[in-house]
Amino acid sequence: MTADIVARAVDKCADETARHLHSGCGYPAPGYPKSFLYGPLFQIGSFTFNKPMLLALICSAIVIAFFWAAFAKPKLVPRGVQNLGELGVLFVRDEILRPMMGKRGDGFLPFLVALFFFIWIMNIMEVVPVAQFPANSEFAFPAALMLMVYGTYNYLGIKYQGFAGYFRNMIPSGVPAGILIILAPVEILQYIVVRPFTLAVRLFANMFAGHILLLVFTLATWYLLVVGIGLIWSATSFILTVVLTAFELLIQALQAYIFTILTAQYIGGALEPEH
Amino acid sequence: MANDSTNAGWTIFGYLIAGMICYGGLGWLIGHFTHIELLFPIGTLVGLGVGIFGVIYRYGRS
Repeated sequence: MTADIVARAVDKCADETARHLHSGCGYPAPGYPKSFLYGPLFQIGSFTFNKPMLLALICSAIVIAFFWAAFAKPKLVPRGVQNLGELGVLFVRDEILRPMMGKRGDGFLPFLVALFFFIWIMNIMEVVPVAQFPANSEFAFPAALMLMVYGTYNYLGIKYQGFAGYFRNMIPSGVPAGILIILAPVEILQYIVVRPFTLAVRLFANMFAGHILLLVFTLATWYLLVVGIGLIWSATSFILTVVLTAFELLIQALQAYIFTILTAQYIGGALEPEH
Repeated sequence: MANDSTNAGWTIFGYLIAGMICYGGLGWLIGHFTHIELLFPIGTLVGLGVGIFGVIYRYGRS
């Protein structure tokens, strides 16, 4: 008898949409892993394909389709979508590439444009209905982007400065020998480990926190929804959801910008050593 | 570099982390073999000091 009641209560609470203030199930707090792990959409052997992967594919398709539409048949006087595409490319060139790398970095413009818009669209998926998940909040996605950048700037650094020269240029010149011994391992570690790690973690952590932040107030809006004076708590949560969505839109663009500008700086530093 | 000061903040942060990892790791390694566990926190603090020193050395004198 008692077991029956308990079983029914557990059953009721398993359905998250049934969780209300007076249902006795408690607030369904979002967190890892339950808000971040998705079951497989389909499976090929041991490879499972899930929602974040689908979102990443859709986002890359969106970026490719947009720039294809913009620049497949470029006109001298830009019209329509080409106008928008040129605006995006010029923004990346004038605000990110030129200040960081100068004119000699112009060859990396396609890479940076693709990187910026891919990350941005991926992040925007956090607030797009139905998608509602930033794939960058799974660490593998920013880590993969970081490995691409890491490989690029290390390859370029060794190519342009030579293998020994690349490591020598990491250490500031004109340092007394005693200080050099203490400082050199820190400098090298910074280039080899800390830079790529922080690059990936910054993007990951911001998207992870943003997703949880939005979930907290969205779930609270539903959880606190009652008929009566208590409705103001629900309304407050709803207003906060709207405000934080706007805030997240800013963060999403900012994180894409920071990732790209740091990439530009690292590649620029590989092309010509800092002194 | 044209715009080095823009991202100096991240570099400074990197110095502090790298210093702690480097000398904290060294302290942990020596402590692990000599069984003096206090060397790990001491190494981390020394690393933080070296990181701050690195920041001052690079940015603080101009």
